[in-house]
Amino acid sequence: MLRAMGGRSAQAARLLAPRSAVLVETVRGRKSRNDPVAKSKEGRIKVPPPVDPVEMVVMKQRFGEYQMILKALRLEFREEVLRRKYEEETGSLAEERARQDAEEHRALMTWNDEENVRMLNVRMMRIQRENEEAERNKLEAALQREQEQQEFIKEREREILQLQEDAKNFITLENLDQRIEEVLDKPKNYNFAVDKEGRVVKQTVLQ
Amino acid sequence: MVHLSSLLLKKYHGGYVVIRLALAGHKQANRPFYRIVAAYNKRARDGKYMEQLGTYDPLPNTHNEKLVSLNFDRIKYWIGCGAHPTKSVAKLLGLSGFFPLHPMTVTEAERRRARLQQTETATGTEDKQEEGQKQAEV
Repeated sequence: MLRAMGGRSAQAARLLAPRSAVLVETVRGRKSRNDPVAKSKEGRIKVPPPVDPVEMVVMKQRFGEYQMILKALRLEFREEVLRRKYEEETGSLAEERARQDAEEHRALMTWNDEENVRMLNVRMMRIQRENEEAERNKLEAALQREQEQQEFIKEREREILQLQEDAKNFITLENLDQRIEEVLDKPKNYNFAVDKEGRVVKQTVLQ
Repeated sequence: MVHLSSLLLKKYHGGYVVIRLALAGHKQANRPFYRIVAAYNKRARDGKYMEQLGTYDPLPNTHNEKLVSLNFDRIKYWIGCGAHPTKSVAKLLGLSGFFPLHPMTVTEAERRRARLQQTETATGTEDKQEEGQKQAEV
């Protein structure tokens, strides 16, 4: 319910509220410079709390002591912080750590180099093998091609021979009359019947 | 790699670090609980702090004790880095023994004792007066 608002929002609230009365809700700092003083506070003079001189002397001394001790403590703590930082950066432990890190780095680098060499060898072997494979394939392909060529030639030669042999039985202009007379003299009978079992029956007689 | 948190920390012009009490956000009416916290001076009381250094419970518990916890190692670090403790935190530290006892603690105690003695003497004189009156009446 009771909200403490900032300066601007308090002024806005004052504008909204009726001019004479003040807001029921308590708002911190709701009176600005030009607002009239409340009736109960008309003749008020603000005075600081009374100071006991004896107590003040004692307090001054006590505070002086206190601040001196605090200053000393602060310097001590500062020194400790700096010392810790120094130890952290350039102490014996830090040196050992740095040395160990360097050694680890060197070991790792050597291992890396060895790995590189090994991989290089493996790669070289692989490439060599691949080259050999390729060459072998090439040779084989060449052989294959040669063989195929040879076979092709042989096939053609066979065909030629076959044709030559067939040529002996060709009908030419000189043989024409002879072959016609031969055929006319020997009539061939193509009439035959075949059983389901494959027995051929030639019973028809040519006339 | 650049340390990102130092880039993300807000830059304050002329700001300094304080060790102070911040209300822990328990959101319970009439039950406060403070965190002793190292924060920048300009930050809100309950806003983002740099490190928590302890707690303070202002209400006494069932054994009539007010519990305070303090992380002395980190408090030393922050004071070494130039943090200022507030009056309440200084008083708490003084009571714990880490700092010398705060003068205001002593003064408050003396004032309270003086007031007690005053009231005692006043009641003593009143009682004596009453007794005298009764005797007179009798």
